[in-house]
Amino acid sequence: MLSDNGTVDFVYKYTNHDGTEKTIEEKIELPFDGDVGELVNKMMNEMEPMMRYLDADVELKEALGNFIRKKNQEFLDSRDDALIEKARRPDADLEALIKETEKLYKEELLQFADRIGPTDEEIFAQSFHRLVHSSSLPEILVKEKGYAKTVADLINRMDTEVEALNSEQQEEMDKKINQLDISTTSEDINKLLAHQYTTHNFVRKKFESELEAIHSHQRNEYREWITGQVSKVFQTSRVATPLGNRSSMFVTQTPSMEESFTIHLGSQLKHMHNIRILSADVTDLCSPLHADESLGGLNMALGLYSSSLCGVVVLTPSGQVAANKKIVKNANMSTEFHFDQIDDQLEKIQTEVKNLNTQDAASNEKSISKLKTGDFFITKHSNLSQSHVIFHLISDEPFNSPSEINSRHPVILGLRNILKTASKHDVTMLTIPALLRHEMSEDMTVSWCMRRAELVFKCAKGFMIESASWGGAELSTLQLLLPREISEELFTTLAGMVPHVFRVANPKILESK
Amino acid sequence: MSPCVTKVNSNLAAVTFFAKTHAGDVCGSNGLPLTPNSIAILGRAQYLKTIEHPNLCEYLDIIRGKHERTIIVSEYAGAPLDEKIKICNDVKTILRIFYQVAEGLNEINDHGFACHNLEPSNILLDSQNNVKLFNYGLFYMTKQGEYVSFPIGNIRYLPPERLLGSQNNIKSDVWSLGMIIAELFLECQFWSSLKISNIIRKILSLSNVSKVFEKIAREHNCFEKYDNLNSDVRELIERCLSTSISSRPMPNDIINNKLFQENIETYAYKAPPKPEQLLLRCPLKQVYYLWQLAGGDVQTELKKEGLIRSEAPILSMPKIVCLNGKIGGSKRSQSHLADNRIVILRLNNLVERLRKVPSMAYFPLIHSPKFAVHYGAGMEQLPLVIRERDTEYQFYRVMLFSRMLKGYPFTRDMIIKEAQIDIPPLLRGAVWACLLDVIEDGSYERIDKVTPTSTDRQIEVDIPRCHQYDELLSSPEGHRKLKRLLKAWVASHPQYVYWQGLDSLTAPFLYLNFNNEERAFLSLYKFIPKYLHWFFLKDNSAVIKEYLCKFSQLTAYHEPVLAKHLNSISFIPELFAIPWFLTMFSHVFPLHKIIHLWDKLMLGDNSYPLFIGISVLKQLKSTLMSSGFNECILLFSDLPDIVMETCVVESQKMYSVTPKSICYRKNVLHEVDPGEFDISDISLSELQGEVSPRISANDLIDLIFNGKDAVVILDLRGSLEFSRMRVAGSINIPFTTVLLGDTRLESLGVPNLESILADKIVVIVSVVHENAVLFSKFLIDCGVSRVCVLHQGFNILHAVVPSVLVST
Repeated sequence: MLSDNGTVDFVYKYTNHDGTEKTIEEKIELPFDGDVGELVNKMMNEMEPMMRYLDADVELKEALGNFIRKKNQEFLDSRDDALIEKARRPDADLEALIKETEKLYKEELLQFADRIGPTDEEIFAQSFHRLVHSSSLPEILVKEKGYAKTVADLINRMDTEVEALNSEQQEEMDKKINQLDISTTSEDINKLLAHQYTTHNFVRKKFESELEAIHSHQRNEYREWITGQVSKVFQTSRVATPLGNRSSMFVTQTPSMEESFTIHLGSQLKHMHNIRILSADVTDLCSPLHADESLGGLNMALGLYSSSLCGVVVLTPSGQVAANKKIVKNANMSTEFHFDQIDDQLEKIQTEVKNLNTQDAASNEKSISKLKTGDFFITKHSNLSQSHVIFHLISDEPFNSPSEINSRHPVILGLRNILKTASKHDVTMLTIPALLRHEMSEDMTVSWCMRRAELVFKCAKGFMIESASWGGAELSTLQLLLPREISEELFTTLAGMVPHVFRVANPKILESK
Repeated sequence: MSPCVTKVNSNLAAVTFFAKTHAGDVCGSNGLPLTPNSIAILGRAQYLKTIEHPNLCEYLDIIRGKHERTIIVSEYAGAPLDEKIKICNDVKTILRIFYQVAEGLNEINDHGFACHNLEPSNILLDSQNNVKLFNYGLFYMTKQGEYVSFPIGNIRYLPPERLLGSQNNIKSDVWSLGMIIAELFLECQFWSSLKISNIIRKILSLSNVSKVFEKIAREHNCFEKYDNLNSDVRELIERCLSTSISSRPMPNDIINNKLFQENIETYAYKAPPKPEQLLLRCPLKQVYYLWQLAGGDVQTELKKEGLIRSEAPILSMPKIVCLNGKIGGSKRSQSHLADNRIVILRLNNLVERLRKVPSMAYFPLIHSPKFAVHYGAGMEQLPLVIRERDTEYQFYRVMLFSRMLKGYPFTRDMIIKEAQIDIPPLLRGAVWACLLDVIEDGSYERIDKVTPTSTDRQIEVDIPRCHQYDELLSSPEGHRKLKRLLKAWVASHPQYVYWQGLDSLTAPFLYLNFNNEERAFLSLYKFIPKYLHWFFLKDNSAVIKEYLCKFSQLTAYHEPVLAKHLNSISFIPELFAIPWFLTMFSHVFPLHKIIHLWDKLMLGDNSYPLFIGISVLKQLKSTLMSSGFNECILLFSDLPDIVMETCVVESQKMYSVTPKSICYRKNVLHEVDPGEFDISDISLSELQGEVSPRISANDLIDLIFNGKDAVVILDLRGSLEFSRMRVAGSINIPFTTVLLGDTRLESLGVPNLESILADKIVVIVSVVHENAVLFSKFLIDCGVSRVCVLHQGFNILHAVVPSVLVST
């Protein structure tokens, strides 16, 4: 009998080997999702052992199979009939269902989706990537360098002019102050101050608008030029490196101290990774690209649209969206041809934060545009020396009082999210601050540094092992960044910890026979 | 003129889609991270590979790409119905389609799931107008669509109850079939110009209609055609489209309808003529396997057709990621939408590669020595990895083995002989089962794998830690199967207990026989007594101690210098080798290495694993020799990468040169009783007191007669007794003259002893056993390899007939 909760009783009547009539019962859950054969054997165990030799299971199997098939179908049919019955009722709200289903079909199936063509961004990415992997590469670099020089010159000019103005104003002010209570009143000084401020602002604004104009002019010209070049170059040859290829980075800059390891991770199947521990300033990894004659430009251009990106984690305080000042300055040293200029990126991120937080009804007005410890935002760059993407991780550790944290601390969890994002978006070289600090301070004792480094190393190791199951790109190189001011002794100690935490790959020794 | 490449019609195709990504950071009920949906799909879809039916396309492979991409490779025979619609205008053909689709649906129903993806483009017609359903497992493999974000099934053919949320009822497919047949009869596509929302509205409104077919016909101005239809046909379609689900027929009812049964030959499946190409007569799984070896890569093919679009990853990077998992500013690219296009995998490359293969090779004659042709000869010398990737060689091997497997168990000896060369990866599971003497007899079904037991908790804990890098074993389906296997093993061995490690031991069998649990189980069932007899006793300490003791002895036998070093830093096997042997190395190596290791293991006897252990030590020799205790512990806590090929070759070499009695252990399954000249019954304490293994008189005699140069006998008796009676060619070193403290060979006073002993089996013969033991330790300290002691001493040799002794 079919009961409400979807179980039925199977009653089986059979003749026992001694001729007596017996019955056996079994509860079966519907919809049935099991193995009839195994159920038969379970029931056989309740019969006398002799029955097995009489092949009673053959009949039982048939009877049970038929029974289950029938009952199961009846169950499904009545369930579905009830559904239809419900829909037939005049009060059934079908419109919502229709809308939802339509939405599902339109949003998820390419067949029904409103086709959007590739965006400008994508087309440009495609063109640039093809050009960069062709003989036009040097031409591009020369062009970029030229543009960068113009911007850098302007910035330098601005800096000197502002400097000059500053000292001039200072002098004027000093003069006035010396005359205070003699020929001038404090009101005069205030006036002068206001005047100076306006002039200063005016000069700055003037340069800034000029800079902006140059940026957008260069950007347009450059992008047009690239698109133009592509049609020219590829009329003749059709070979191109597909987007998202693997690209490798050759590092040219030498930090003050560094040491590299090759490690194996995983308990049975081993994955190989590179670990590099180095001491440098985080802004060195995000220095302006065209400042010197290095190969950096080439590296960055080749890797930009590949599937081996370079990322850097930079710590930044909570609150409004704000990036490290030095990095912002570096990024503004030349025109960002591929993405928005960094200030625009930050502005957009700020809006996005608001959007995200307004979805959250619980958050109050004040915190609406704020980021919390462990959150991070991402900026993209084509004009910095060693990073395509910067992960700005929010950390609020006060500068002068190093605290103790554990592996459940938001910053560590944020680090895990960064590794996860990196794996999802093909960032294969990532630099993380090994002490979760960018600068050394007085009270960062050796033992504190060791504890902190051990925590970060171990967590990074755990996340990297975990990342094997995320199904994304594998992190090929992890850079552990220590502050530039770190003592050589401490550096050696911390570098010595790496092979203890990570299993270093055994060197293959070629033995002569 | 370009050379003419034979054009082959390929019947392999691939489709691809993305599995749903888990939102944020969620954990399962066991506190572990959730399995990616693509892995879950991969596990579930394995079952589909077992379905073989003339009206269903065969599933061949499920591939997991980066970022949750899932690719399904399947048979694709003929052309889809929507392309062939023009030729399907006569009643006979339409009814034929009707009947055969019902056959296909019936088979699906018998397998316990529903298709829910029936539409003209998934109905393939071959040259004989036979129907094959394609992509019918999508709903099943995605667990009722749970693992994907897109809806399954063409909206036009969905019944109202599916839109209302019904699932898994095969009768929904019967509706779809009814709609498709109705369209064919009325020669028009229903609602072709309507928007999706209106189609949905139409379908839902049909739930109030009693005669759906008639209503639709009127709606499309085809009432005349409807009216002209044979009333039986009309009535059957009307029933298929009934909105009362209980009165809709089952596929089986359609098949048994008298409309078809009266004229069954017209409608039933007609086997198409055998293809000209011999290759295409092979099972598709083999063709696909060879296609891959010939350089076929599904992902590349999909890329070529634009189904995998490469996009610059930097463009899709999000703007912010919050700690609570919220992600902002990342827009979803359209390339992640479900695309129902199909890519045909061309066989040209493979055909070209196998062009030179003689037709005879497709039908190897294994019982006719007269025609014995050894295909692929000369390849044996190449490394295994190369042989496993060579198309032609694998072709020969697969043909040969699949033929031999058909004759199993009659052909068992032949299989063993061929397996000694190598085992084709495609058939490894079946070949292993043969090597282990497995006969599938349905006994697995009888074992209770459901009732909870006390070991469940431990099993539950171990499974999520067992070879989880492998996609099959980490899928929920893999977990379920592994649990069933373990429970079955425990239930069928009341004398044993579940020791941690049994999971790793089971993993390779499950991995190779994922769709054949019984074969996996029986292989394990036979494997354990062969190699791990009594290891799973509740108190297995005596067995393990004996095993490790033998391991030390054999290490001393083959690598005396290393053994001496390890002994001196007290780095004893108990500290590292238990997981090695308890799991036959399956706990320490990844699956792809275990498989090659076990290929050879299966051919050896219970002593073979010991030699694998030694060859692992040998590979790490230089590191070990320069390390102290702590470094060694650290090194073995997570075994470094071992080169498996060398390991296999080394262990085989040692295995073949070591006399069997050297490896004697009490705790193995002895199939024959030991004779007078065999070793029997050495107690554990005796064994632990000896550094070198013992050799039986039988083996010594065999060495003397059959390989005289391989053995040196050192006789420790007094020189008087020696001169009276001795083995010819033996060297006399009276024990009384030996200074045990002075570990130099020269101190023995035998000229050129070192070169005499080099590369020989050194057998110590004495009357006093203790002396022999002490002397063997002396020799090992001197760095002499292959030292062993004659079991029962010199006196046993008196009884040997014909005598090996000479007297003066």
